[in-house]
Amino acid sequence: MSEIIILKNSCKGIEDCGICMSVCPKNLFAPSHEMNERGFLPPRVIDEDPCTVCMNCMVSCPDMAIVVAKKKKTKEPK
Amino acid sequence: MDAIEHPLRKYTRPHVTRTTTCPGCGNGIVAQAILRAIDELGLEMDDFVFVSGIGCSAWIPSPLFAADTLHTTHGRPVAFATGVKLGRPDMNVMVVSGDGDLTAIGGNHLIHAARKNIDLTVVLVNNGIYGMTGGQTAPTTPLGLTTITSPYGTMEHPLDISATIVAAGAPFVARWTTAHPRQLTRSIKKGLQKKGFAMIEAISQCPVQFGRVSKLGKATDFLQHYKKNSISFSKASGLSREELAGRIVIGEFVDIEKPELSSQWMDLKHQMGQEAQCHNKQ
Ligand SMILES: Cc1ncc(C[n+]2csc(CCOP(=O)(O)OP(=O)(O)O)c2C)c(N)n1
Ligand code: SF4
Ligand code: SF4
Ligand code: SF4
Repeated sequence: MSEIIILKNSCKGIEDCGICMSVCPKNLFAPSHEMNERGFLPPRVIDEDPCTVCMNCMVSCPDMAIVVAKKKKTKEPK
Repeated sequence: MDAIEHPLRKYTRPHVTRTTTCPGCGNGIVAQAILRAIDELGLEMDDFVFVSGIGCSAWIPSPLFAADTLHTTHGRPVAFATGVKLGRPDMNVMVVSGDGDLTAIGGNHLIHAARKNIDLTVVLVNNGIYGMTGGQTAPTTPLGLTTITSPYGTMEHPLDISATIVAAGAPFVARWTTAHPRQLTRSIKKGLQKKGFAMIEAISQCPVQFGRVSKLGKATDFLQHYKKNSISFSKASGLSREELAGRIVIGEFVDIEKPELSSQWMDLKHQMGQEAQCHNKQ
């Protein structure tokens, strides 16, 4: 089980970047419908279940906008 | 800011929430590879001095990294870094800069630092063009590419900087692309651990300037191109020059041990100090 977190305000958009979408072997990313605070369109995760935790998306994102965590954690508000 | 943080964010300055690069630029992949290497080795940012020159890639450490960073003049980061290392041999000194910066205007500094074998780790981000200034031909630009300074296609042969630095005598030289982020991290770790001059060349996409003139397309097309056209050093050694045309040779080219300059200076200083003490006693 994994948790894929998109830090949407760090993302520079799937239109010109989209690296996460191209490196995911399971095609788990799709365009989102809402722009982030900088006007970029971040990806959204379609389904977490097929994720193999290969970390391709996390290590290839040029803007450190993806975190893949191995186990489901309860999100703690900061 | 998002509520959850990326684990490598602990190595970046809290007030720097965005990178300076264009969407999809390879610089961010290299930045992450460097921070991951530091994290995996368990090193402290306080023990680092990052030195960069001028260019888009020179913005990788500053202002993002939460460490001492020297953003120096164009082509001179290796010269500044040499001074830092000789003054503070206890520090990890890392140079991060572009191919224009380190192979063109700064080429001689790079060659001679490798020859002297001073303990620096150089991450050379090679996007094959002058990105920051608008896409001029660099010494690394592929033959025939039309750029704004070579409107009929460049007639100059590109420099193989890794081969040059191997020839200059560096004990550690590796080349990967941004489509190989894990291998890149591994070689940066080895470079940091090497007592001596280490250069890691990262072939990296500039979808904006190189992308525009090469018609290679988007960042994702670059990564696919890198994946498709790279060939390991061991496989490449059996191929002819013609067979290797257009291929990117990746891997660790050299990994040896040899006496290092800053520690020899320290030894000499120590020895001279002892001699001076003996002299004073007489
Ligand atoms: C002495 C001097 N000459 C020229 C320049 C203009 N200049 C700034 S960056 C740059 C080239 C940068 O290319 P590269 O090192 O490949 O970095 P990139 O932007 O591609 O990452 C040049 C020529 C300068 N700043 N200083
Ligand atoms: S970790 Fe791998 S499988 Fe999971 S979302 Fe990222 S790229 Fe896809
Ligand atoms: S790789 Fe990162 S910056 Fe690029 S689109 Fe995906 S989340 Fe955004
Ligand atoms: S111009 Fe090229 S190298 Fe510079 S930030 Fe943009 S994509 Fe990166």
